[in-house]
Amino acid sequence: MTFTGAVGATFLLPLRAIIAFCVALRIHPNILTLTGVVVSAAAGWTLAIGEFRLAGCVMVLANIFDFIDGKVADRLNLSSRFGGFWDSVMDRFSDLFLLIGLIYLYASLGRTDYVLITSLTLAFSVITSYSRARAESVIPQCKVGFMERPERIVLFMIGAFTNRMAAVLWVILVLSVVTVIDRIYYTWRELQSER
Amino acid sequence: MLPVVIVWNTLFWTFERTTWQYDLMVIAILAFVWLTPPDWLFDPMANSPGLIGLLGTLTK
Repeated sequence: MTFTGAVGATFLLPLRAIIAFCVALRIHPNILTLTGVVVSAAAGWTLAIGEFRLAGCVMVLANIFDFIDGKVADRLNLSSRFGGFWDSVMDRFSDLFLLIGLIYLYASLGRTDYVLITSLTLAFSVITSYSRARAESVIPQCKVGFMERPERIVLFMIGAFTNRMAAVLWVILVLSVVTVIDRIYYTWRELQSER
Repeated sequence: MLPVVIVWNTLFWTFERTTWQYDLMVIAILAFVWLTPPDWLFDPMANSPGLIGLLGTLTK
């Protein structure tokens, strides 16, 4: 097993118990998704006031909801195309809340350099998701590029818990730019090969 | 030729999660995040010099 596989398996154990609890209570997965977004907004606010460790804890909570909604939907036989759409749209809100919180923080500190870096990170995070969604409307799959949402979220949590948010923003920004380029190139290549 | 392939495969990322290539990328990212002195990035919030920064001040 790989290192990241082992870390994932470790975190899956408590999550299984939470999933079983939500299934037992028959909580609708769309409600779980919405709750995750509300908690993400709270995480954005804690980032905005510079409480990074608290923000890390709130992000963990938000992402528990984000992770379990699909699994609960499967277990309750409530998976639907609208649920997938709802989840994707709410994910974008969650991402935006975190980054807007950081923009507010850096603006209040008078750090226009990091306002710019965080704004670019926000833009490329959205374009990363949009480029894949749009690509998959013209080709079957566009699963290339490293910096997807799970990587972004885990990096945010690492940045918050260890107070290394600046380095995390640089990593997310650079790898998001590369991911967008990957997706444009891959889509172009796939469409060329169809000719 | 091998370095070119490595750089290309790193930039044009097609590996799945939980592969050894993914592990290597994660280790490289964590090394950058945790080892780069926050001063180098003009980090507005960090309040400790980080491992490399700490070693730098100790060796002065």
